[in-house]
Amino acid sequence: MTDTTKSPPELEQLLTDLEPQDADLLAALHRIQEAYGYVPRKAIPLLAEKLRMTPAMVYGAITFYSEFRLEPPARTTISWCSGPACRLKGGENIRRALEAVLGIGLEESTDDKAVGLHLHQCDGTCALAPLIRLDGHPTGPLTVSEVIKLARALKEKGG
Amino acid sequence: MSAYQELRQKAEEAWQAVESPPRLRISVGIATCSRAVGANETLEAIRQEVSRRGLEADVAITGCWGLCYAEPIVEIAKPDGSRILYQKVSAERVPQLVEEALASARGVCRELALATLSSQPVDGVPSLSSLDFMAVQEARRLMANCGIIDPEDIDHYIARGGYEGLAKALDMPQEDVLWEISDAGAGLWGRGGAAFPTARKWEFLRDARSEPKYMIGNADEGDPGSFVNRTLMESDPHSIIEGMTIGAYATGASYGYIYLREEYPLCLERMELALRQARERGLLGQNILGSGFSYDMEVVRGAGSYVCGEETGLIASVEDRRGMPKIRPPFPAQSGVFGKPTNVNNVETYANVPLILRHGAVWYASLGSEENNGTKMFSLSGHIQRVGVLEVPFGTPLRRLVYEAGGGPPEGRSLKAIQPGGPLGGIIHARDVDLPLEPEPFRQKGALLGSGGLVIFDDSACIVDMCLYFEWFAEDESCGRCTTCRIGTQRLVEIIRRISNGDGRPSDIDLLRLLGDNMRYANCAHGQAAPTAVMNSLEAFLEEFQEHIEGKRCPAKVCRGLVRYEIVGKSPGLPEAAAICPTAAIVVHSDGRYTIDQGLCIKCDACRELAPEAVQVVDAVATSD
Repeated sequence: MTDTTKSPPELEQLLTDLEPQDADLLAALHRIQEAYGYVPRKAIPLLAEKLRMTPAMVYGAITFYSEFRLEPPARTTISWCSGPACRLKGGENIRRALEAVLGIGLEESTDDKAVGLHLHQCDGTCALAPLIRLDGHPTGPLTVSEVIKLARALKEKGG
Repeated sequence: MSAYQELRQKAEEAWQAVESPPRLRISVGIATCSRAVGANETLEAIRQEVSRRGLEADVAITGCWGLCYAEPIVEIAKPDGSRILYQKVSAERVPQLVEEALASARGVCRELALATLSSQPVDGVPSLSSLDFMAVQEARRLMANCGIIDPEDIDHYIARGGYEGLAKALDMPQEDVLWEISDAGAGLWGRGGAAFPTARKWEFLRDARSEPKYMIGNADEGDPGSFVNRTLMESDPHSIIEGMTIGAYATGASYGYIYLREEYPLCLERMELALRQARERGLLGQNILGSGFSYDMEVVRGAGSYVCGEETGLIASVEDRRGMPKIRPPFPAQSGVFGKPTNVNNVETYANVPLILRHGAVWYASLGSEENNGTKMFSLSGHIQRVGVLEVPFGTPLRRLVYEAGGGPPEGRSLKAIQPGGPLGGIIHARDVDLPLEPEPFRQKGALLGSGGLVIFDDSACIVDMCLYFEWFAEDESCGRCTTCRIGTQRLVEIIRRISNGDGRPSDIDLLRLLGDNMRYANCAHGQAAPTAVMNSLEAFLEEFQEHIEGKRCPAKVCRGLVRYEIVGKSPGLPEAAAICPTAAIVVHSDGRYTIDQGLCIKCDACRELAPEAVQVVDAVATSD
């Protein structure tokens, strides 16, 4: 997770070595998101100028790729694995339970920004199916009741 | 001495210490699967244990054997030549492992021992090649280094013959390099799913007029349930770099990109490290190995988009745009990245190339079937006892992977279906489990062998529910550019969802068929292949669809609209079940009875987990009056 104790470097500093037509946009967005935890909107015109694109093209790319976010993430992110091995082993039950306990859908955060739910694509850790990731850390195989307890505890302590 | 021989000699010296360790050597396989079950913690625990005991030992890392079911795996190599793999070594088990394995010169920790690397069993520990998971794998070629070398050390790769293929190629005319992989030679074709002859694709690039030319390695492995590219990149990254460099030489390309999906952070780390090491050794960059040929490459990290695995979508993504596929022609060989000639192959395709150059086309063709030379990597997951990655010659019956390597479905369950080639690859009925693993027999069944994912379904799976999943995935990942795919996938989801909710209509079967037929005219492979699983299922599992539509029953009791949860008995687990319910749907009556408020129940199954004797899943429609 992003270190929130120190302030991130200025956006301009992150973008010094970027060139137009050099396959740099995704790298730039990753860099910004790693530094800030999300892509601040003020980065869009800067990137557009740097890469000689229109702001609309940059915005289009940010919203096209599911890993980039324009809002800060919740304090804790639960990534729900959507893969087939998880589905076969009750992954859908886990999603329904998570949504019910947290009162939010996928790609949403609780009102107090404590917990967010994110759809994760299969990365082949299927020996752990069904699994979720807590701030990136895979946990599984899980029963639905274990997931409910975990989500309740997170909600309780505020992420 | 040639530049390559010099590198090789130095590398062999370094490798000597691994192959015949002068002192105790403990290595931990570090890859995505093993890290998920704590391999990093195991590694740290071993370091601490070694220092706590003041042992004279080297602690090292390796890549992954493909035995995901046995991770974390630790190898203990002793100076006397004994090498034993231990399985499921969590950090807590490390003291026991070290204690027992090092108690004496011949000490073995029996409880955790998986296999010995010797060809014969040692003190009752079976040889690795005799394990069911490994015995199916006649020869490991692409995976020859997986689990054996440290993927973060280029010397290990070089010492085991790495970059010899490149050195050979650089001494040959381009034409001869192309011949080696062509149909006249090795007969290599693309492993990404389309199975197009590689040499022909490379010839298009070579013959293209414009400059510069680009090589692209497609490592976007987006098919859920496929993790063969991941294993290769994490365990033997240089094989891909070497293959792409040979391709660049044969076609005149001067720069390359490996397009790597976001979900594989360890691959990113290892590929970037491998590129740096290759550059340091003069294997990338200006004047490679003194040949006068120059080529370099970089990794582009994706950001979560399945269609970027389609070559024109991938190219758009490299060009800083949304990863939306384009209509072909023009093909990438004419107009690819930045409008320049480009060749895109799956990274596994490239990994074959150094082997062909090194050992020759005849050697390469010595494994495989009548029509298809060589081997293919597959990943096994789903309802199977042993999850993992393996490599078999083309033509190997699917049955051997499912039952011998994978151990079949869990105890008490039977095989229902196999899903090859990702969500767009289709579904194969269990009766076709004898199909040989090569493209044509799968095509005849209306399915795709695809890039190597095999997801196993047992009889607890509902085909309608899995079709809903595949079509939801196709809809979610559609780029939206062509209406055929954007609306087609949406309609597929709507129709299957209503079938699964109990609102299916008899005409829905024909509607699905019509949609499947229309979607063949989508702009790119994504839309064209999106209905595959549904079309297969309407052939192989028609009765199951009809049972949902006409009988309003889900035989596997998976589809939410067709089942309900009822409390049918007593159980000491009921209070806990009532407490766990996320919607407080379990009502406790004053007489001590429990019932479920059907209006609140979301059918998440948590209560049944805690009180299985009392909670039953019943047909929603059939039981209501």
